[in-house]
Order: sequence, then C-alpha cells, then structure tokens
Amino acid sequence: MPMNRRELLERCFAFGALTIATTSSLSAIASAWDDAEGKRQPTPWCELGPFYKRQAPHTSTLRAAGDPGMALSVAGTVYNVRGEILRDASVEVWQTDNAGHYDNEGYRYRAILQPDEKALYSFDSVMPGHYPDRVCQHVHYLVQAPGHKPLVTQLYFSTDPVFGGNPDKNYRRDPLITSHELVRPVMIKGEPQQVFAFVNFDIVLEKA
Amino acid sequence: MRSWFICITVGCCLAVHAAELKPVATVHLSCESPSQMVSPNGGQLAVRCKDHTLHLVDVANGHEQYVFSAAVGVSSYAYSRDGRWFAAGTKEGWVEIVPTSGSASPKRWRADDRRIDTVQFLADGDSLLVAGADKPGAVWDVREAPKLRASLHSDFAGLTACALSPDGKLLATADGDTVLRIYDTATWKIVREYRGIKLETFAVPFTGDGKYLLAGGADDHISVLEVSSGTEVRKLGGQAGYVGEILPLGDNRRAAVVYLDNNGLKPPRPMMWNLETLKAEPLTSERPLTGGGLVRGKLWVVSAAGSSLQAWEYE
Repeated sequence: MPMNRRELLERCFAFGALTIATTSSLSAIASAWDDAEGKRQPTPWCELGPFYKRQAPHTSTLRAAGDPGMALSVAGTVYNVRGEILRDASVEVWQTDNAGHYDNEGYRYRAILQPDEKALYSFDSVMPGHYPDRVCQHVHYLVQAPGHKPLVTQLYFSTDPVFGGNPDKNYRRDPLITSHELVRPVMIKGEPQQVFAFVNFDIVLEKA
Repeated sequence: MRSWFICITVGCCLAVHAAELKPVATVHLSCESPSQMVSPNGGQLAVRCKDHTLHLVDVANGHEQYVFSAAVGVSSYAYSRDGRWFAAGTKEGWVEIVPTSGSASPKRWRADDRRIDTVQFLADGDSLLVAGADKPGAVWDVREAPKLRASLHSDFAGLTACALSPDGKLLATADGDTVLRIYDTATWKIVREYRGIKLETFAVPFTGDGKYLLAGGADDHISVLEVSSGTEVRKLGGQAGYVGEILPLGDNRRAAVVYLDNNGLKPPRPMMWNLETLKAEPLTSERPLTGGGLVRGKLWVVSAAGSSLQAWEYE
C-alpha cells in the first residue's frame, strides 16, 4: 500500500534519511510540501440549512438596481485537492437579502453559477442580513463536479460585527461555523461613489 | 430533524378549545421545562429542562426513570413505537438507547462524526435510523452490539424528516436535496421517489391507513402524495409560514400541523386540517401548551408551568 505524505516523512525521519534542521513539526513540513506541489485541503463542510431551493436560475447577477445593502462581489476558483482546476463544476449559492429574509416564493438571491474556462466563478449580490435564528451573515454554497463529492458549505465575512474584529479567535460565536477558513477577508473596492465589498472564496472538492 | 418540540421551545402558544380536551394526566416535574414529548403509548414523557438535562418521567406517578445530564449534549431523541425504548443522539455523534422501565442495559456507541440530527426506531424496535448533520442516515441493528445494516441515499444533503408506514414495511424520507424517497424496509431499496418539491421538507408522515404521505416544509403548502403511485394528488395550502410538524390522527381524517414563521419572529401557529374537506382551523384556547405527540392515534397536548404538568387528549 502506498504511504501518504506524513507516513513517508516519519519513515524517513526514523531511518535518519531526513535531517531536519529546524524546529518545524512533521505536520508543518508535510503541509509546506503539499503547498509546494500545489496541493490543497478540501473546503470544510458547513451545514445546508433549511432554505435550499432547487432549480435556481443560471445568473451571476443577484443584485437588482436599487436593492438596499452594501454591494457585494464574490469570486473564486474551483479546484480539486491536487490543485487542478475543475472547469465542469457547478456552484450554487443562496442567501438572504440585506434585511435577513430568504425568498422562498421566488428565486431572489439564489443562483447557479457556471465557472469559466479557468474554473473561475463570480457573482454580484448584497451583503446578506442577520436574522434571529442565525448569528452571522452568510452565503450558502452547494458545489458539485463530476467525479467529486458534492460540497455543502457556507461563506462568512471577516467584517461581521459578531467576530469583534478577530474572526480567527471568535468564529465559534456562531456555533454553526465549522472552520475559521470559511470566514473570508473583505476588501472594499470601487470608486468613492460606488464602493463594494469584494471577497475571494476558492473551493476545493474531494474525489468521490 | 425538526420537531413539534423545537416549535414549542421557541414559544409555541399551542392551545385548544377547552370543550375538545379530555384531561389524561397531571405530573409533578423536578425542573422547569420548556418542552415535552409524549411516548407513543402514553406511558412516559421526555422532559427537556431549561438546564439542558433530559428526563424520562412516568406519566402515572411522576417517577424519573432516567436522566441525561447536560454534559451528554442531547441533540435529538425518539421513543420506540411500543414505548419500551428511548434513543438519544448527541452533539458529538454518540447514540444512547435506554429502556423506559426495568433494568435492561443501555447501549451507547459513536454512530457519526457529526451532531446527530435524527434518531428514529423502526417498527421492529430492533433497528434504529440515525442521521448525522447533513447525512442521509444509516440503519443500525441494535439487538446486540449496534451493527450497521444499511445506508440511505441522498443526492448531496442530509435527512430532514422521516416516518414509518403504519405496517412498518415502508420508510419515507425527506432530504436537504428536496427529494422524497420511500424505502422498502426489508431490502432498503428505494421503491418510490418524488422530486416535485423545490424546497426542503420538514415533516413527512403517513396517514393512519398508510395510503398517503403528507409532506410539508419550507414550501407554502402541504403535498398529499399517494403512496402506491408516488404522485401528488392534492395540496393543502393557504397558510403563512413553513410547516414544522405534521401529526396525522388515527381517524385518517385529520392532521395537526404546526406552522412556523420563516424568520423566527412570530410564535408557532398550530392548525387542525380536515383531510376530507381540505379546510383548516386554528387550535386555540386560553392555555399555552408546551408539548405533545400522538398516543395510539390520538393527539395529546401538554402544558407545563413551573413544576406542574398537565396533559389532555384532543377528541
């Protein structure tokens, strides 16, 4: 049976075939090796929630003219764990409006996105609102690609006041957030009259 | 899986016309309790306390048969059909089965690496359906040391509701992928699939005669599906909010339905649907209720205040 990265490192270390001149752990070295080879960790799961709706429209424009709330633009690339892009992925997103309401009757703020030839997806929306049953603002994701496990997750925003400016430390204030990796930095972009929040959120799928 | 009891914990002011209620029990509680579940034989109550403990209390004498401590972190629970066993799933993925009376040994095992959202005994009482968060569920043989018997299917998400047919031969499931599936419990093969619902379903019980499924959830109506054909034969609509729970009564004519507000701002709203006239009436009265369940096909409702609990049967 082939050894994994950690086992190989440990075996080399045990037999003296590898000299480690630093204080780095084997885990850190394995991680650095993965990075050097372009390998990626799967995006963490985060639960589906109760308001998924099938057959969303294929559009990247969720925001309509005059919609209240901070304009939001999200973009990212879909990869597999070997770091290869997945052009044939499908990225489905849904969120509340700025007031914290899901549209269950229609399909406002719901969309299916088709990544481009570089596996890049993007959409324009507004910052989702808070609502009583959930602590943090979030966007739901369902990402599927042939030969890969479907991924259900959620995107969170580092600027959410709930995190008190320190999402790495405070992300568990929302008990549904499974990993601080899902809390993404928010950049303010655009002209002074038309600023918008920009978030990069790459997705990594595991083989089925 | 959402339940009647979740609706109660968020302030369900369920109440019923006094003339339609027959008192069946008064029980002294050892804690302040926001929600209670009645066992299917009416012999026991699962009492959730404000301190996050869960108590199994005999209806006849208020005796506490078993207590799950707050540290256990119970996240879902259910009685077996005969009321002899009680299963609880925890936030850490453990499942515990305890006898509701007597001294049989409890069973405890790690069934999933996620929070357990659903536990449901199958008809034989020897099998338990367990689903972790966003997982489609697995059937465990629990006669001896728990053993995995079958895994259920979903396109990408987990179990949101399930129910056994009255004869125990079929299991209906609803998943986050919005698909309803009916399994043959002898083979665990899918025998019917319904993809006509676009939003998630939170309750999917069979009617008492087993001929129909009532599927309700985030959609604006309840779908009535004919089990033999797997097709929708009618809709029960016109109510605001989403469906949190459906309890079909044994008379095959009525079903109690709890509607919830999409944003959790308004209290849950219980209605009684007449499945023949397709009309619904609110269940209203002066006393706010805190729990309930089906006992031998009849609706029991419960009101707890302080250490006093009263239960009535809806006639």
